[in-house]
Amino acid sequence: MEYKEVVGRRRSIRYFQSWRSVEREKIQIMLEAARLASCAVNATFLKAIVVFRDDLDRETLDALKTPVSGLNIELAPVHIYTFVDMGAYLGAQARLKKLVDVGALNATHGWSHKFVDDFVWPNILKPLAEGGNQPSVAAAAASDAGIAICQAMLAGVDEGLGVCLSAFVYEPIKKALTPPDAWLPLWVLLVGYPAESWEAGGQRPRPPLEEIFFEGKYGKPFKADPKVTEQLKAAKMIQAQAPLPWRKDEIRALARMFGLPE
Amino acid sequence: MTPLEHPLEEYDSVKTWFKGLREQSGVDPMSDPSRLRLLGEFCAFVNLDPDQVVTACLLAKEGRQTKISIKGRRGMAEKIAQFQSQLADVDSAERARRGNTIRSFLIHNGILLQSGIQI
Repeated sequence: MEYKEVVGRRRSIRYFQSWRSVEREKIQIMLEAARLASCAVNATFLKAIVVFRDDLDRETLDALKTPVSGLNIELAPVHIYTFVDMGAYLGAQARLKKLVDVGALNATHGWSHKFVDDFVWPNILKPLAEGGNQPSVAAAAASDAGIAICQAMLAGVDEGLGVCLSAFVYEPIKKALTPPDAWLPLWVLLVGYPAESWEAGGQRPRPPLEEIFFEGKYGKPFKADPKVTEQLKAAKMIQAQAPLPWRKDEIRALARMFGLPE
Repeated sequence: MTPLEHPLEEYDSVKTWFKGLREQSGVDPMSDPSRLRLLGEFCAFVNLDPDQVVTACLLAKEGRQTKISIKGRRGMAEKIAQFQSQLADVDSAERARRGNTIRSFLIHNGILLQSGIQI
């Protein structure tokens, strides 16, 4: 699938074919997409634990449901529990120097081993590594983790899977999966084959471009060029907005199939 | 049970439920008369009228925004599960329908409940 169409087709899928397992290789593809994501100081802030739902015992599965996401968690055959690793700043000094060595950070932009050793590490990164609980540090790290999660989601969509980020209850997962203490819980990325149509009722309503992006300064909207908008429609990045006319019928059918309330 | 003071469809919570069924779910609430019958049976089962069933899931304190009561909702979810399973001579689909009718009533009154898959 072309990239723009992958972006356009992604939805939060909330009805999965609970009976159909997901091929392990497709999960690997998603993880590789996450691994290759952009990340500050070449630190892999995103850490994740893949759980095949049917490997969880019933008590753990029930304990980690929230009132809002319990059904999604039950329906999805694969759960990817994501965390931000606040310890990922550690080792940044060596990783930055490696980026210098491989030609990613260059003298053209002022980079050198000595700059990393004498300035970047002691003045910037070391304090960050030591102050991981500061909200701004956690937010920056979580932002990087989010980028990686997004790439995994899009790779999943490209593989024909449905994906949805959900909240989860941390304590039972901490007990069952034993992540290190430095890992802060983010989301569970639920993965499975959609039981609803891939359109899932249509592209979700979003504010227009001009409301959320600005040009030059705040308050001056970034105006969308209608020609570009048409190109994106042709490329299936911008698709028919929800609700599609048959959505309520689809939801009723799903409710009957799974025995859910209307 | 405490006799209902009004016909079921006159309670505000039932009006809200029917409106939600029509507008959100695209379902004609009158298309299946068993909806109201099951709600009536549930009201008798918990000895509350429909509005009281909803209120039992809420936590209202003066001067504060009303919240969903975790304890109240959990208790009502357990009651629904009991209500659903109390008839031994009906099949699992019918049991699920009994419970889901009451869940639908609460959901459209703003009480988020998830029953899980019932197939």
